[in-house]
Amino acid sequence: MSQKLVIDPVTRVEGHGKVTVHLDENNKVTDAKFHIVEFRGFERFIQGHPYWEAPVMVQRLCGICPVSHHLAAAKAIDQIVGVDPENLSVPAQKIRKLLHFGQVFQSHALHFFYLASPDLLFGAESDPLKRNVVGVAMEYPELAKKGILMRKFGQEIIKLVAGKRIHGISTTPGGVHRRIGAKERTYFLDDKEIPSADTMIKWSVEIIDFMKSYHANNKEFLDSFAKYPSGHLGLVNKKNGFLELYDGVLRATDAQGNTTLDDVPNDDYNQYFYEAVEKWSYLKFPYLKHIGREKGWNRVGPLARLNVCEGIETPLAQKEWIDFMDQTNGQTNNMTMHTHWARLIEILYCAEMMKKLLEDDDILSNDLTRKGERRKEGVGIIEAPRGTLIHHYEVDDKDRITRCNLIVSTTHNNEPMNQAVRWVANNVLDGKSEITEGMMNQVEVAIRAYDPCLSCATHAMGQMPFELQLFDHYGNVIDQKIRT
Amino acid sequence: MKEKTILFGIGNCGRADDGLGWAFLDKIKAYLPNNYDIEYRYQLQVEDAELATNYKNVVFIDAHHQSFEKGYIWKKCHPKATESFTTHELDPESVLYLTETIYNKHPKAAILGITGDNYCLEMGLSPAATKNLSKALNFYKNSFLNPINLGTDKSHILK
Repeated sequence: MSQKLVIDPVTRVEGHGKVTVHLDENNKVTDAKFHIVEFRGFERFIQGHPYWEAPVMVQRLCGICPVSHHLAAAKAIDQIVGVDPENLSVPAQKIRKLLHFGQVFQSHALHFFYLASPDLLFGAESDPLKRNVVGVAMEYPELAKKGILMRKFGQEIIKLVAGKRIHGISTTPGGVHRRIGAKERTYFLDDKEIPSADTMIKWSVEIIDFMKSYHANNKEFLDSFAKYPSGHLGLVNKKNGFLELYDGVLRATDAQGNTTLDDVPNDDYNQYFYEAVEKWSYLKFPYLKHIGREKGWNRVGPLARLNVCEGIETPLAQKEWIDFMDQTNGQTNNMTMHTHWARLIEILYCAEMMKKLLEDDDILSNDLTRKGERRKEGVGIIEAPRGTLIHHYEVDDKDRITRCNLIVSTTHNNEPMNQAVRWVANNVLDGKSEITEGMMNQVEVAIRAYDPCLSCATHAMGQMPFELQLFDHYGNVIDQKIRT
Repeated sequence: MKEKTILFGIGNCGRADDGLGWAFLDKIKAYLPNNYDIEYRYQLQVEDAELATNYKNVVFIDAHHQSFEKGYIWKKCHPKATESFTTHELDPESVLYLTETIYNKHPKAAILGITGDNYCLEMGLSPAATKNLSKALNFYKNSFLNPINLGTDKSHILK
C-alpha cells in the first residue's frame, strides 16, 4: 500500500500552491510534487489591446514585483517602436535602471526580513506562532526596523520614478516620461527625512555579515538542506560577463559550471527554450531545447545569477561575491539555502547602484525618448528579483497585440522547486504517516528559498491557499494540513 | 494643533466591490481638513506600521464580506499579533501590534468595514456596494467631519 502527503497552501510565498507526497505501504516516499493550481489567463486577455497598454496592464500580474513586469514589457514595446535597448537615451536607461534597482532592493529586503529570517532566526521547527515577522519584531526589533526602512527606501525610489509605489507608470514606448528633479534626489542622499543611500549600503553590509556569522554557526543546515545539482540561468553583461539585472545576454551553465547557453541575445530566446506541460500543474516547465526536458531545466534568481556571472561592477558587492564563490572554490554553487546569502549580496549591489545613479546628473536630463522604425514583434528580458523574466509580444498593423508569451521567473524555477520538495520528502517526510508543523514548514522553507511568486507564474485570479496532503497507495488522503 | 489622522483605504478597484476602500477615499478626500492624510493600499504591509507612528488616529477602510444592517461596521481596532497572516499581507491588528512593539507608539485605531457584494474581475462598484458606501460616507462625515462636531468630544474619532 502507498500513501500520499499534501501541503496546501504554502505560506510566506507570493501566491499559493500545493504539495503532494505519495507513500508506499511502508510509508516510504515514492513521489512528491509541487502543484500550482491557479488559473492562467494574462497572456490571453491582453490580446487585442493596443501595444502601448502592455507595460501598464501586465504589471497587474503582481503587487510585489510590478516594476519588473512593467520594465520587461517596456523593453519589448521599445522594439515595437523600433528602439533597441542600446539605442535608448542614456538618461532613460539610467532612470529605468534606478527604478529597477529600487524594485529589486525592496523585494529582496521584504523577502529576507519578513519571509526568510523567521526560519533562520527561530529554526524551521520552532513554534509557528513565533516564527513570523511579528516574532522577529519582538525579539529583534532593531533588525525589524532596518528591514522596514530598507524596504521603504526601495519603495520610495519606485515612487520617485514611477509616481507611486505599486503599479506606477514610468516608461513610454522608446523611453521614460519624466526626468528626476534635483531636489527629489536629495531626499535619498542627505540622510535627513529617510536614511540615505549610504546608510542602505552600510546596513546591507551588516546583514551580509549576519548571514556569514549565521553560516558559520549553521553550516550543516545551510550547506545541505535541499541541495541538489541543477543548471543555472541568468542575464550577464554583454561586454564583460558581469552581473546584469536590466539588460544583458542570456547565459546558462550546468551543475558543474559548463556553459549550456553561451551569451544568447534576447531576441533569440525562442530558439533555445521549450515549455513543457504537466497535467498536475498550471505552471509550465521551461527547459533548454538542445539539452532536453530531463536535464535542460535551470534555476533562476540570486543564486543562479551569482553562479553565471564573472563579477559585479560595484566594489563592495564584488568583494562579497568573491567571498561567496570561495565557499565552493569558485565552482558552481548548488546549495539551495545559499540563495538567501546570494540575495543579500544583490541587496548590497542594488544599494551601491542606487547611490551611483542618484548622484549621476544624467537622470536630471530631459533627453528621455527615442523613435525608430515600427516593427511587428518585440522581446524584453530582464532579471526580476526572482529571476529571468521574458516578455514577448507580436502586434498587427492596427497596433493591437496578437500574441503574448510570458516566461516568468517562478516558471523557470518550477522544476527546481519540485526538486527541492522531493529532497525534503525523501529526507524529512520519508517513513512518516502524519504531518507535523515542523515537517510542513521544512517543505515551505525549501520552496521559500526561491521566493516564488505564484500569482506571477500563473497570472492568477482569486484566492490562492496552500496545502500539504499525504496520500496512500490507493490514492486516499491519510493526512492533510492547510494554511490560509 | 489638531491631532493627525490617517485613513488607509485597502482593496483593489479591479475587483469590483473590493475597491470599496479606495472608493471611500476618493469620495471623502474633498471633505478632509488638513490634519488628515490618506493612503491607498492593495494590502497592508510592514512599513505601514512605521507610517502609523506619525499619527494619533488611524482608520482602516476595507470591503467586508459580511452583511450589516447599516451597510457598514465601525469598530475599534486593537493591536494583536495574529498567527494566520499569510504571504505578504498584514491585517490591521498586526500592523498596530508592530507599531507598538517596534516603535513604542500607540495610535488609536478603528476599522470601517463596508459590505460588498461582487468581487469579480471588473471595474466599478455593484449597486448594493454603492449604496453601502454612501451610508458609510454619511456616517463618517457626520461623526467626525461635521463642523458642529469638530472640537467636541464627539469629533474624536475613537472616543
